[in-house]
Amino acid sequence: MSGFRQWLRQIFPAACLTALVVALLLAGWQGTRAALDHRTNAAIAQLVAGRDVPVNDNAPGALQLARLHFLTIRDRLDEAQPIANRLAIGDDAQLAVAALIDLANARLRAALDELASNNIDPAIPLVRLAKEGYRRALAIDPGLWDAKYNLDITMRLVRDFPQIEVSGEELPPEVTKRLWTDLPGLPRGLP
Amino acid sequence: MAARARWVLIGVGLLAAMGAARADDVTLYAPRPFGYVIGDTITLSADVALDPSLKIDPASLPQPRPVDYWLDLKAVRLTDRGTREGARRYRLDLVYQTFYAPLEPKRLVIPALALAAVSDDRRVELAIPPWSFVMSPLREIAGGSGEAMTPRPDIMPRPIATRRALMLSFIGLALAALGAALIGWQRGWWPFHRRRDRPFLRAARSVRAAVGLSPPDYDTALLALHRAFDATAGERVFAEDLDAFLAAHPGFEPARHDIARLFTASRDVFFAAEAGAAQQELPAERLAELAARLRAIERMAA
Repeated sequence: MSGFRQWLRQIFPAACLTALVVALLLAGWQGTRAALDHRTNAAIAQLVAGRDVPVNDNAPGALQLARLHFLTIRDRLDEAQPIANRLAIGDDAQLAVAALIDLANARLRAALDELASNNIDPAIPLVRLAKEGYRRALAIDPGLWDAKYNLDITMRLVRDFPQIEVSGEELPPEVTKRLWTDLPGLPRGLP
Repeated sequence: MAARARWVLIGVGLLAAMGAARADDVTLYAPRPFGYVIGDTITLSADVALDPSLKIDPASLPQPRPVDYWLDLKAVRLTDRGTREGARRYRLDLVYQTFYAPLEPKRLVIPALALAAVSDDRRVELAIPPWSFVMSPLREIAGGSGEAMTPRPDIMPRPIATRRALMLSFIGLALAALGAALIGWQRGWWPFHRRRDRPFLRAARSVRAAVGLSPPDYDTALLALHRAFDATAGERVFAEDLDAFLAAHPGFEPARHDIARLFTASRDVFFAAEAGAAQQELPAERLAELAARLRAIERMAA
């Protein structure tokens, strides 16, 4: 009993000191993380509020997504593309999906704008790229209803057709050649 | 001779028939065949039972790939379930994802898949049968309103959650404070310095040690207790100062009688040199008990 007490008395200060150091390290590490995240969040808030903030390639994913969103809603798609490429192959599936969908949405909106003024040719590649973006997003997460819905829109704008064999019930060849059907419910502008 | 050859032939024929029957045994477990929309995944599972000498040829397994312009094969999992009831059994899971965008409910077909099973000397073709299902449209066919052509909104960027890091940081700080407090308590640093000043604790230890000797060191034990009274009062305490001491430290009042006996005994020992009388008045064991009692009083008062 007294041996145990003796042992306890000897081990006690060392144990306390170790616990103290470990706890301080934990506090320092997590505190630094919180502080860095706080700064990142301030930058994200700036971007969401519409003020451009330079973001480098190694910035946290959430900040890169904020910058991507900032660019896509301003139609700066060429600048947004590399960010989306990076996020799409990153570890964070949620960020990858968000990046793919936001960029695809921007392309779909641009295509709809072009179609509203009857510019069909520039709209087609936009729709195709948007379609690919939605498909990649859905491949990562098949439960994304908004992506399904928007993909359905793009599919009706420019339908997919079998590449090699065209079966009898598909549309006639001249339509597949143009890869363009019709635009239900969309104003075509003046005749 | 001829009869024997016929028997062997019949046996081979039986074996071949059994092998063929087993090798053909592919059972497809499919999910509901309706109610799919664009982007849904469909998992087809097939149970394959083979002649025990056969193995599925891994090279014949389909690779994840686009099967059709609207259909992707996303994953292929083959599970070997061992040999049971005279057949080697496999489970083959095929995960497809459909990207067909129908304008009205439409029946589509997932095509058949060919597999091969091999043994040392033969190769058997297997087929996972085709499977058809109905896909449903997600949106109405747009009429006059632009509603159906309005894309769903973006996924908005969200701030990083800092709660966890903050919480862990605070927990770390709290633990560090606790550790520092424990060390301070043990070392008697501020604000635990008062704790160190427990003279009767020290005295009780000395008394116990002194009484434990043989023969008991009665004088040392008495002296230790006197030093404790002195330290507690902050000055020398003699028998005639007892009232003043008890007035200043009322916690010791219940032990007044014993304390008085202690002072009597100590006078006998140190001034009258009557150690025998003193030990009769207050035997060594009683001295240890008294010291323990005083220590307890001190602890209560602290």
